[in-house]
Amino acid sequence: MEWFLGPLVGDIEMLAKPALFNIYFAAASIPIGFVGAVLLALGKASRNRLLSRLCSGYIYVFRGSPFFIQLFMFYSVALALNIGVWKPLGIDWLVLHPLFLGPAILALNTAAYAAEIFYGALLTVPKGEVEAARAFGMSRGQQFRSVIWPNLIRIAWPAYTNEVVFLFHATALVYFTLPVIDDQKDLMNRAGQLFQKDYNAFLHFSVAALYFLVISLVIFYVFGLIYRRMTRHMPHQRAIRFKPRWLG
Amino acid sequence: MIDLLPQWLREGLSEDVLFWLGYLTNGKHLAWYASVRFTLFAAVAGAAVALAMGLLGATLRNSRLLPVRLIGAGYTNMTRGIPDVLFFIFFPLAFEQTVEWVMSRSLCSAEEIATAVLWPPCPAANIHFDTFQYLLLASVSLGIVYGAFAANVIFGAMHSVAPGQIEAARAFGMSDRQVNWRIRIRQMWIYALPGLSNVWMLLIKSTSLLSLLQITDIVRWANVLGSPNFLPTAGLVHPDWRWQYYLVLLVFYIILTFLSEKGFTALRRRVGRGMITVED
Repeated sequence: MEWFLGPLVGDIEMLAKPALFNIYFAAASIPIGFVGAVLLALGKASRNRLLSRLCSGYIYVFRGSPFFIQLFMFYSVALALNIGVWKPLGIDWLVLHPLFLGPAILALNTAAYAAEIFYGALLTVPKGEVEAARAFGMSRGQQFRSVIWPNLIRIAWPAYTNEVVFLFHATALVYFTLPVIDDQKDLMNRAGQLFQKDYNAFLHFSVAALYFLVISLVIFYVFGLIYRRMTRHMPHQRAIRFKPRWLG
Repeated sequence: MIDLLPQWLREGLSEDVLFWLGYLTNGKHLAWYASVRFTLFAAVAGAAVALAMGLLGATLRNSRLLPVRLIGAGYTNMTRGIPDVLFFIFFPLAFEQTVEWVMSRSLCSAEEIATAVLWPPCPAANIHFDTFQYLLLASVSLGIVYGAFAANVIFGAMHSVAPGQIEAARAFGMSDRQVNWRIRIRQMWIYALPGLSNVWMLLIKSTSLLSLLQITDIVRWANVLGSPNFLPTAGLVHPDWRWQYYLVLLVFYIILTFLSEKGFTALRRRVGRGMITVED
């Protein structure tokens, strides 16, 4: 077993730190993307035609094009603006840093996908409950806070969980485009580098896949716990079932 | 290419327009436009493989034998934990190494295999794929990844076929295979189409990854054409134009998704003739 376990354990150790970069990318972009998604979904449902069109357009563009191209495009835009904008402002070191730019582009992308999920959920919030809230004389802010939002997030949560997992998978693409600074390699990068050394594709890529798999399962588990807590007052608790992100 | 324009048109156009027309139709740009064929080929071939793998995966998951069912379930759940790009890169490498390993058994001497530090053990077993072979490999790996998605969809669709239909077919004395092919698979398409159209959208979008497999596709060309162009004889021809080129790609993919959406809506209407379905 030694011939098999030795390299395996070695790889698991070597890929532990790179995995942190993938986790960082996802963890940094999810909160921003979440807030953006809620705003975009409300914007799309807005009665203001212009706002609604703008938000739908944003969602369509980001869902209709590959994330890989979005990465390339926003990176080259950031580079093109470097001399004119970032340098004079003195923030070029921040904006062009992959640890900033990566999560920023990921957040733009996930905001669009999650917004579509939240928008769909918003349409299925029970009408009767909203009418009841209005009959009680609640202001629109109160309606949103006490009726629409709790329903929306509960309806959207299972789909949002899948979106988060796919966002985590999308972090594998970041370093194919953005420059790697020093030793800040992510899983794909490091696995590729190890492969270049000894051409053992099966070992290195399997261990990288294992990391992705385990972290995905952890995300499913944690989000499932949150879902259980969200629906604890409801009669039939359904566990989250996996459904792929169809318009990924 | 400018020379192809008729004389009167060339005189009617301003100097600027002619320059840009000439620039956008120079050899490199034509090669860029032509490289769309790789993208479209990978999409269509990948979809064909994905459909076959999807049917296979769904059939495995429906099998009576537990081990076979487990294989099917494992395959269809693959997408749950592993990013597509990882498999997309891994599969061609693994395929190449497997072929090289098989070749090395016959082409290399035992001594070479025993003492080899590098891969492959001897130069004779080294193989190089050309662009078309890489394209085929890319299509197959796209097909395997998105086949898992398609298998999920088809598995669900097979179970959406009205049970009365299956019972009626059995009552007519059809064998299991006949029921499967003539009734279940024949009728499931209408239920599978919405899901399959989404898988197709995913697949189209991941054709942008072809450049990762050393294929000079539209993404790589955009990078080449947009990079700051400096010629010793002419000086700086143009500065960094990459973002404009990537914007063109972005628009290209959005148009592609838009057209696919329209196409699938039409197809759904056509397949749904005479069936009672939930209207959208």
